[in-house]
Amino acid sequence: MQVTIKAILLSAAALALSSQAVSAKEYILTAHKPDQLVLIDAKARKVERSFTVPDAGPGVLTVTPSRDGRMAYAIANKWESVSGIDLDSGEQVFRANFSSGDIRAKAMFGMDISPDGKELAVFLSPVKLGLGEYEVQDTYIAIFNTADGLDAKPVRTFSAPRRTALLIYSDDGTKLYAGGWDFVVYDPKTGEQTGVHKARNWGMADRTEPDILDVWPQWEQAGVFSTPFFTVRTDKAEDDPAAYAMGMLTLDLKTDEFVMDEYENFAVVIFSTAVNPVRRNEAYGVYTQLSKIDLEKDELVARKNLDHTYYAINVAGDGSELYVGGTMDDIGIYDTDTLEKIGEIRIPNGGDMALASLRMIQR
Amino acid sequence: MKRLKPLNRKAELLDNAIEDGKAEEVYTMQTVVGCSTTLDPGWEVDPFGSVAALCQPMEADLYGCSDPCWWPAQVADTLNTYPDWNKGADSAQRDWRQLQSVFPKKGES
Repeated sequence: MQVTIKAILLSAAALALSSQAVSAKEYILTAHKPDQLVLIDAKARKVERSFTVPDAGPGVLTVTPSRDGRMAYAIANKWESVSGIDLDSGEQVFRANFSSGDIRAKAMFGMDISPDGKELAVFLSPVKLGLGEYEVQDTYIAIFNTADGLDAKPVRTFSAPRRTALLIYSDDGTKLYAGGWDFVVYDPKTGEQTGVHKARNWGMADRTEPDILDVWPQWEQAGVFSTPFFTVRTDKAEDDPAAYAMGMLTLDLKTDEFVMDEYENFAVVIFSTAVNPVRRNEAYGVYTQLSKIDLEKDELVARKNLDHTYYAINVAGDGSELYVGGTMDDIGIYDTDTLEKIGEIRIPNGGDMALASLRMIQR
Repeated sequence: MKRLKPLNRKAELLDNAIEDGKAEEVYTMQTVVGCSTTLDPGWEVDPFGSVAALCQPMEADLYGCSDPCWWPAQVADTLNTYPDWNKGADSAQRDWRQLQSVFPKKGES
């Protein structure tokens, strides 16, 4: 009998969870000038709510949502602050200012939140302001407690390589990847370096060092970080188009699997990519063209010209459609099968999104 | 320093620092800092040596480049010295006529 009651309770709990999942809607979370975070009902193509980030100028840059979709952390204030906005109340409930005294410290794109929502990791580049010069200081990762309110100070710091562009927590929160020239793996609790996935320093004899430009946090849907890379094959003649290779780097945040595979000759610039959470072999890249890449066959599947250049891309949780944003004031919506445009969302005041992140949340 | 007159801002700073007993804290600038002193040669052409693969239109790219100081020689440094350069011009495509040149004011380093 006891087993039966437990089973009923468990199934009731499962039902409650699944009904919560069904009722949860998917939203696009991004930002635009001058100081606005914006929450968009993706399938309804409708801006649901805007939030003002206090003292944000000249805008909002990187946006990191908590996994429960209740909080958004935004780099703002000349990239010298992170502001945590409660997406229910609209209030700023967390703030950390990085600069004080004669230290001016800036964060840009390297920020992520631990899966349990308790800690925020930020990569910082400080300089010491002198009377007539700036003295460059060592770069580091600062860990904040998200419960520390409006005058939060780091609870831990540890050094990390200059040129770190992205910080990414593993799915279980035990690893913190610092993506720059290579992907250095840290234990976020101790700051100890526990590994490295080599990218720039891959040491391949018949390739130049790969070139990567990636400042876009958009791995949440598939749990896979992906980015294009570029390399020159030194085993080919300089006038051979096959000497200029594009590849895809993927880092599975659940398994730690790190792959760098070439898939086409360099044909178009791609700024950022996202992996389909359903058809996990498909990745999509964006810039002035939209590209579909098969990660298993390592080949380009399709490519379409866009209305204008976009920096950021993300994908619906059901894998059906793509959202391209950043740059100007429109988010383009594209079908993942055909790459045809199927919708558009305009930013309320027409302000540029510029380099603001384009995140997906369920709430 | 009675017979020497500072001719530029750095010299003036040194002059003041001497009076404050902080002369040893004034150094020659040894690192490239801020946006306006950083040059990103090659930005004007795309990786193919042409312009077709630059951002289209260029207004789509303006704040994406100025916000992280990526577009150094052409626009003001909004991260350090001119944070309000594009204030009120939220759309580069719509508001570009409001974007003005900037000039250092006396006393600014």
